[in-house]
Order: sequence, then C-alpha cells, then structure tokens
Amino acid sequence: MSALWVAQLLVGIPVLAAVVTLALRRTPALAALVATGASLLSVVVAVVGMAVAPVRGENLVLLRQPLRVGAIEMPFELWSGPATAAVAAVVGLVAAAVLVFTRWYLADDDRLAQFAATVSLFTAAMMLVVHARDLVLTLVGWEVMGWCSYLLIGHWSRKESARRAAYKAFLVTRVADIGFVLGVVGLSAGAGSTGLDRVVAFWSHTGGGCVDTVTQTAACVAPPEPWLRSLLLSLLVIGVLGKSAQFPFQDWLPDAMEGPTPASALIHAATMVAAGTVVLAQLFEVLVLADGARWLLGLSTAATMVGAAVLALGQSDLKRLLAWSTVSQVAIMLSALATATAEIGPDPALFHLWSHAIFKSLLFLTIGWLSVVAGSTLARALRGSVAVHQLARVAWLFGLLALAGAPFVVGGLSKEHVISTAYEGAIGAGGPGVIVLAALLVTVVLTAAYATRAWLVVTASVPETESAHDHARMPSAPVLAALALLTVLSVVGGLVLLTGLFDIHGTSLWWMVLTVLLIVIGGGITWLARGNEDPRDSFVRTPRQRALADGGLGFDTAYRRGVAEPVLGLARVVAFLDREVVDGYVRGAAASAGIAGWLTERGHRREAASGGVALVALGLLVAAGTAVLAWR
Amino acid sequence: MTLDIQWALLLPALLPVAAMVLVLLVDAVAPRTRLAAPVLGALGLLGGAVAAVPGLVATEPRLTLCTPAPDGRCMWDGSPLASTLQLGALLATLAVLALVSVRRVGVVEVVLLLASVSGAAAVVAARDLGTWLVTLELATLPVIALVAWRERRAAAHGALTLLTTSLVSFGLLVLGTALWVTATGDPTLTGSSLAAAWEVSEQRTLAGLATVVLLAGLAFKLSAVPFHAWTPTTLTSGPLPVSALLASASKLAAVGALVVVLAPYESVLGGRPGPHVVVAALVVLVVASMLVGTVMALRQTEVVRLLAWSTVAQAGWILLPLTALTVAGRQAAAAYAVVYAVASLVAFAAVRAVHGWRVEDGRNLTAYRGLLRRDPVAGGTLALALLVLAGLPPGVIGLVAKVVALRPAVSAGLWPVAVVAVVAAVLGIAVYVRWFAVLFGEPETGAPARPRRRRASVAVAVVGAAVLVVTSVLPQLLVGLVS
Repeated sequence: MSALWVAQLLVGIPVLAAVVTLALRRTPALAALVATGASLLSVVVAVVGMAVAPVRGENLVLLRQPLRVGAIEMPFELWSGPATAAVAAVVGLVAAAVLVFTRWYLADDDRLAQFAATVSLFTAAMMLVVHARDLVLTLVGWEVMGWCSYLLIGHWSRKESARRAAYKAFLVTRVADIGFVLGVVGLSAGAGSTGLDRVVAFWSHTGGGCVDTVTQTAACVAPPEPWLRSLLLSLLVIGVLGKSAQFPFQDWLPDAMEGPTPASALIHAATMVAAGTVVLAQLFEVLVLADGARWLLGLSTAATMVGAAVLALGQSDLKRLLAWSTVSQVAIMLSALATATAEIGPDPALFHLWSHAIFKSLLFLTIGWLSVVAGSTLARALRGSVAVHQLARVAWLFGLLALAGAPFVVGGLSKEHVISTAYEGAIGAGGPGVIVLAALLVTVVLTAAYATRAWLVVTASVPETESAHDHARMPSAPVLAALALLTVLSVVGGLVLLTGLFDIHGTSLWWMVLTVLLIVIGGGITWLARGNEDPRDSFVRTPRQRALADGGLGFDTAYRRGVAEPVLGLARVVAFLDREVVDGYVRGAAASAGIAGWLTERGHRREAASGGVALVALGLLVAAGTAVLAWR
Repeated sequence: MTLDIQWALLLPALLPVAAMVLVLLVDAVAPRTRLAAPVLGALGLLGGAVAAVPGLVATEPRLTLCTPAPDGRCMWDGSPLASTLQLGALLATLAVLALVSVRRVGVVEVVLLLASVSGAAAVVAARDLGTWLVTLELATLPVIALVAWRERRAAAHGALTLLTTSLVSFGLLVLGTALWVTATGDPTLTGSSLAAAWEVSEQRTLAGLATVVLLAGLAFKLSAVPFHAWTPTTLTSGPLPVSALLASASKLAAVGALVVVLAPYESVLGGRPGPHVVVAALVVLVVASMLVGTVMALRQTEVVRLLAWSTVAQAGWILLPLTALTVAGRQAAAAYAVVYAVASLVAFAAVRAVHGWRVEDGRNLTAYRGLLRRDPVAGGTLALALLVLAGLPPGVIGLVAKVVALRPAVSAGLWPVAVVAVVAAVLGIAVYVRWFAVLFGEPETGAPARPRRRRASVAVAVVGAAVLVVTSVLPQLLVGLVS
C-alpha cells in the first residue's frame, strides 16, 4: 500500500462511514457501531501509513494533469509526508477513542447516530486538511470542520446555552475565516495554482536564480513582494487564530464546553483547534520568510498562552479549565511555528500537536467519565470523584503530568522542544522569539499550577456523607481499554521520536532542569494556596473574581459590544436605507404602473362593438398621419 | 400561362382543405356519424403538420408555383421559417379541436377550423399579394363564425366586434395591396422590385404608404395597440377554445403574413434614405402594445381578460424584433410567436380544465387560490405557462425568446425600444406572478368543483407543458428551428 493510497483511504473511510451511519440513523446503536468500526479500521490504515510514509525529502509525483480553471490550475491531489503520517495516526486514534467513548457516554441519546456521523465527517475533514496537497482541498476540509463543530457543539440543541455556544463558535470562526479565505485566494492567485507545491515554491522564492524544485517554472519568475507575502500569510494566520481559539478569538472555545464531552475531546485534541497548526506547517517555508505574519502569530500566541493559563487557574468548572488549557497549549504549538528558524522546521509544533492530542483526549474522556459519576463538571461536585476507579486516578494523573510538562512523558518532551525552538529563534533570528520564550516560561509555571489544582480537586477527600456517588454506571470494557491505551501512550508516546517521523533535533539538559524547577514552583504555589475546604478557592476567593474568571474576563461582552452591536447597527442602517430609499423607487414604479393602468382602463371603459370603431378611426388617423409625414 | 407546381410543398395547406371536403362529403352521405368529422379533421391537421416537417430542416430553396423564366416569380415559399409557422398553426388548431371536446364538436366547427388553418398555412408561404390577401382572410373570417356559432348573446356581441374590426382591416389590406402594386408595379412581394421602386422618390413614398397601411391592417389581426380594441371583448365573450385559437393559430398566421410583407425590406435596408417610415410605424406599434397591454393586464382580475390583455402585450414583443427589418429579426419574431402560442395554449387549456366547458362563470383570480394543491396537473401546467409568458426560470424558453427578440432590435441600434421592452418585461413579470402567486397557498372551501369531462384539456395542457419543458432544457431546438 503506497502512501498516497493511505491518504485517500484515510479521507475516504470516514466520509463513507458518515454516510452509512446517517443512513442507519433509525437504529442508533448499530449506526454508532458502524462508525466505531470504521474509525478502528482508519487507525489500522493510519498505522500502516506510518510504516510506509515516504522518507524526508522524497517527493511524491503528481499522478495526473491538474485541472485548469481559467489561469489557475487545480491539481486536487492528496499526499503524505513523514510528520503528516504521524499526525494522521493520532487523529485517527483520537477519533476512534472518542467514538468508543461516545457509544457508552451517549448510549441513551436519541440522536446518537447523527452524532457519530458528524464525528466521522469531522474526522474526514481533518484528514483532508492533513493530507491536502491543494489549498482548495484544505479550504474544503477547513469549512467542513467549521460546520461539523457547529453541529457537535449544538448537539443538545434543546438547551439554550448549547445553541448559543454553537452559534458563537460558528460566528467567531467564520469571521476569522474571512482572513483565511482571502489568504488562500491571494496565495493561489499569485502562484497561478492551488497546488501546495507550486504555492510554496512561488512564495518562498527569494530571488537569486531558479530554485531547484519540482516546479521550476514557477520558481523562475520574479520573486514575490515581501510585503505581499507577509500580508497574505497574516490573513491566513488570522483564520488560524480564529479556528485555534487564539487571542482575540479565544472566547468561543470555553463556551463550546456546552457540547457533549466526546465532542469536546475531538475538537480540542486532534481536529479543529489543531488544524491551523497543520496548515501553517504545510506552508512553513513561506511563513518563515513572512516576518509580519510571524510577529502577529507570535504576539497573539504569547498573549494567549499566558492569559488562558491564568484563566484556567480560576475556573470553577473543570471542563472549562481543560478548555482554557487547550487554548494555552495550542498557543504553545503555534508559537513554535512563529519562532522556528528555517533549519528547525515545523516539526516541533507538529510533535506538540501529537502529544497534546493524546493527553488532552485522555483528560477529556476521563472528565467525561467522572462527570457521569458526579453528575456535573463543576469542581465542587467533582471533589473526590476519582475514587470511583483506580484507572480514573491513573489516567487523570498521567494526563495532568503530560499537561504540566513533566519530564519524559509525552507532553514534557514536546514542550521541551518547543521551548528550545523558541530559544533558538530568540538568539538565532529576528521575529518574536524573545517574547514567546518569556511567555513560555511563565506558562510552564502556570500550567503546573492549574494542573496541580485539577489534581487536588478530584482527589480531595470528602466526608462520607457527600461521596454517595452512583457506582451503577461503569464504563464498558472498550472504554476502559481506550482510556488505558491513551494513558500508556501519554507516558510512552514520546517514543515516536525513535521512528524518525518527526524531524527533531535534541534539546539541552539545562532546559530540562529549568523546566522541572518551574514546574515544581508552579505546583508548590497551588499546594500553598489550596483552600481549606473548597478546592475551588485555591486562587479565586470572592464571587466577583469567580464570575470574572468563569466569564473569560468578559470577552463575551466585548464581542457583543465591539463587534456584534456595531454590525447589527450597520445592518439596521442598511435595512433602513433599503426600505426607505431603494424601496422608494420600487414602490414609485409600482404606483406609477398602477396609475397608468387606471388611466388606460378609463380609456377602455366603453367596450361596445361600435366603441371599437372609434379606436379603429384613431388607428386610421395614426396610419394616415404617418404616411402624410412621410410624404416629403 | 403555365405554372410550375410541386405539390409536396403545398400539402400543409392542401391537406386540411382535403379533410374539409371529406368531412362535408361524409356529412352529406352519412349525417349520423358524429365521430367522423373530428377524426377526419384531426387526421387532416396531423397530415398537414407531417407534410410541414421536411421544410424545417431544408437547406435548399423550396419555391413553387413559379411562372416561367426569364422573369419568373414564385408565389409559394416553403422556407424553414414558413414551415415552422405552418407546423405551429396546424398543431395549435389540433389542440383547439381537442379543447372543443369530441362530444360537442359539430361538422360546422370542424369545417371552420380546417378552413381557418388552411388559410393560415397558406398565408405564411404566400409570396404574391393575391394569394396573400385571400388566404389571410380565409384564416380570419371562419374564426368570426366560430365565435358566434351556437353561443350566447354575449358571444354574438364579441363576434360583431370582431367582424367590424375584420372588415376595417380587410379594407386597409386591400388599399395597401393596391398601393403596393401601384408603387412597385409587381403583384409579388419581392425585394428586387421594391428596391427598384425605392430608387424613385414618388414610388418610394407610395411604397412606404402601402406598407404602413398594410401594417395597420395586420395590426388588427395581431391585436397590436391601437388596433386592439376587439381583443378583450371577443376573447372573453366567445367560447374558450376559440379564444385559444385566436391567441395561438391566428396569431401565428398574422405573424407569418407580416413576415411576408416585411421580407422585401431587407433589400432597401442599406438604401438612402432607408425605410424609416416603416420602422417608425413598427416602433409605435411595439411601444404602445407593450405598455398598454401590460398595464391593462396588471389591473385585470378575470383570468381570460387578463390573458387577452397579455396577448396585446405579447403582440408588442412579437413585433419588437421585426423593427430591425433583418432576417434575424423575422426569425426571432417567428420563434417568439411560437413560444407565445404554446404557452398561451397551455394557459387556456388549463383554464378550460379548471372550469369545464361552462367557462363563463367565476373566472376570477380568486378561484385559482391553492390550485397547485387542489389540482396539481392543471395548476402545475398553468404555473409553467405563466412563468414562460413572464420569462422567468424555470420557464427558460420564455426568457430565451425574450432575449432572442431583443437582440435584433439592439443590433439595429434601436436602444430606446429595447429600454421600453425591458420596462415592459419587468411589469409583465408582475402581471403573471400575480396569478402565479395565487396558485400557491391554502385552497379555499368555496373553490369551483373539478369538472368531470376534461381529459382532452388536461392532455393539451400536459403536452404543451412538455414542449415547454423540453425547449426550456434545450432552447437551441426552437432557436435552431427558425434560423
């Protein structure tokens, strides 16, 4: 099986699964089973794909002539590279785990089949983005993901809050997508092709002779303007910031927690929020030359990673804590792209994507389990819930360790590489390296702090009277197996580096020592600050502070005041102009037609047989008159 | 004088005549066979239609009734354009025969229909003024009898109006013919003799006057403003199938006659001075018909009266491409006339299917509320016909016909007329959508009951709608047919 075949299968299988699942929606259990089976098949294919992935530097040849649309050529090709194969494998794995978990978690839901179908389609869209060798395909996958996220977040559409969260996610990401679409159009138009190879070759061409790539023709033309490259990449970055919930678009993601927990696991771990990392990694050779876009990305991610970590500290709802941690972690991923030099490449970011996908899906699925036990995701309710099962304790522990970046677990390894990438960027090249490095170090402390808090909450000992948890609903064996697998992977997932799929240089031991120190400081702060009774009170003590933290520092209000209300106001002005000015002409035309009709009707009132003669006479007069006039 | 005759080319006109003679003979021999007349009539019409088909795709000239060379003139031209109009007129008459209903149709109706259609088939192919004049009247006069025959007093009133109009029209046509012969010295409508006459100032003026008078006479047949007054009265008071005949086959005959008259003008188009008088007369007819017909149709609530006024407006559209006086314009006019004839036949057939043969009662727009749910076949075909008349997709062929009709006028530089046409088209959309919108919605309880015997009407509506659908999907079928 060639790498190209794997790519096509990985996109095709979930699409097919989505269609079949939707067709079987009358029997939800069977439908979910089909979707799960297909996702497990995808995992097998993806693992094979890791084995047959092309080695670095090997180019896949184009199979057929590209489609020509006007002056633009569209190859519509898929491809696979080493890092792509690894990312695809983790996407498939997370999707499979999510579907296995869904069958247990949503077993009573009447729309289980629709949910499973949407998850499959979502996975297909992400696979398309991962494997796209054509920006149009990327765009298709990107948009389908946006739509599926709307469906998943709003799955419980009977809840007002779920509907609002779905609208919010959709609107915020749509607004940012304006930039993405403009960027894609600009990049394709400049290169005369939507094919990734030609786009990258054209825009990463800096002059000085023809670059020896597959597409020499594109490379031999004059180099593109640097400002144009920066502008287009910045537009693209805006779209990525929206989809990845980075400042200033961050506020939709915590609200998206209104969706079912498996949906959150999928959106947060492997698909939507990570898609931007994949797209920018594909365009890395251009991004590294576009200083404006790198500054935009670096500043936004630096602000986001610290701010989101601070907010995570203060959440009274553990699911929202995980949401803010996702925002912070995705910022770390993207910051690696913003600071990496051309020699380092995009792989540290992709490696962090890989590890984040594993531990974040583990954390979400575990909290889903615990919330079933406790009946809520509120920190107060979840106290001591981890006592339900030993696996829950272990899974939660290792998930949080990886989140905090403890050495040698998967999250620790990848975070080390991001930090050393930022350091190289800071000392080696221009760009936002210094700021990002500082933000990263602060974030390490904060991450350790909120991870410790999350640990303390669920392990807190509670008086016997309160721990009357319902032990009736234990997860099924496949769910436990999936959790166990994810737990193991979040410990040993770093071994993927041995396969050489990620092109990653070693990191310094000193950085490791420093981060361990920072983690200990962060954990220690939480330990010292822990409340006596209510673990919520570690950092947030007054109701006012709590409301501020839970409300994401009031960004929702800012969106409404700053964007929604001006846009609505503008719409009202346009509607007024349309109604009172433009419609005036239309109504005037209608009125004049009516008056003309009335007048004409008056002229035809006498419809007697002889009455016609008068008109006949008139006609004769006209005919004769014309003739006389012509008589010259 | 010997005439060179190719009988095959004359068959579209001769077969209905033969059928008419047969019907009379059978009636004389066996008066009790009720079905003989309609069957023979239908066969004659079908035979004529089949005989017209070869002319559609002919590439070489199909001239006959020619006088001997050297200065031979041909009096019959079975060109594709003429064949299309013949086919349209014959099939439209067949549809009208179906609408009259086999049970109620008598020998007189069949004979009158056949006489009318043989005139229509002949006039579009005629090339000499004698044949032209006689066959044009043959196409018109039987319709007057049809309006009055076996109908109420109101119908007699309508027939009287039509008769008055026809007499005036006939007078004008005879005058015009005489003037034409005086001006050109040639009893045939050929370009070369007109071009020769155009060189001389007095003859040019006379020829222009002749054409204007002929136009006035034909405008009666076409019900173009200001010669339209008979149309609403006659169409609403006569029986519905005859109204359908007036709106379809008669209209095609009138267009064919007009095309024959205007054809010679192509040879003087580049002349100096050009035929401005004719263009001016046509423009007056176009603008007045479009505007008056549309705004009047906007105010009607009685559906047949609405269709009658829409006929007036559509006459303007048929005349619009003729203002260019080119062959493309004549073809566009024929194409538009055919589309209009099919659509209006469908509309009349649907109205007939909704009301039965007692069509005089309750033909208000309100009776059509919710027709699409109550009666999907009649409602659906009617909706399609209205969309085609309005020129709105999915009635694509109506839109194509409008564009085809606008193009010659625009390329001839007649921008103001094109602007008026666009305004009229916009207003026209309001006319038909007003009716179209009524078809949706909840059916009323007081809606008229569905008539029992209406299979023929429904069949006509469905076949016509099928033609509209096919030509909407493949508009090149029709546009290619006439060009």
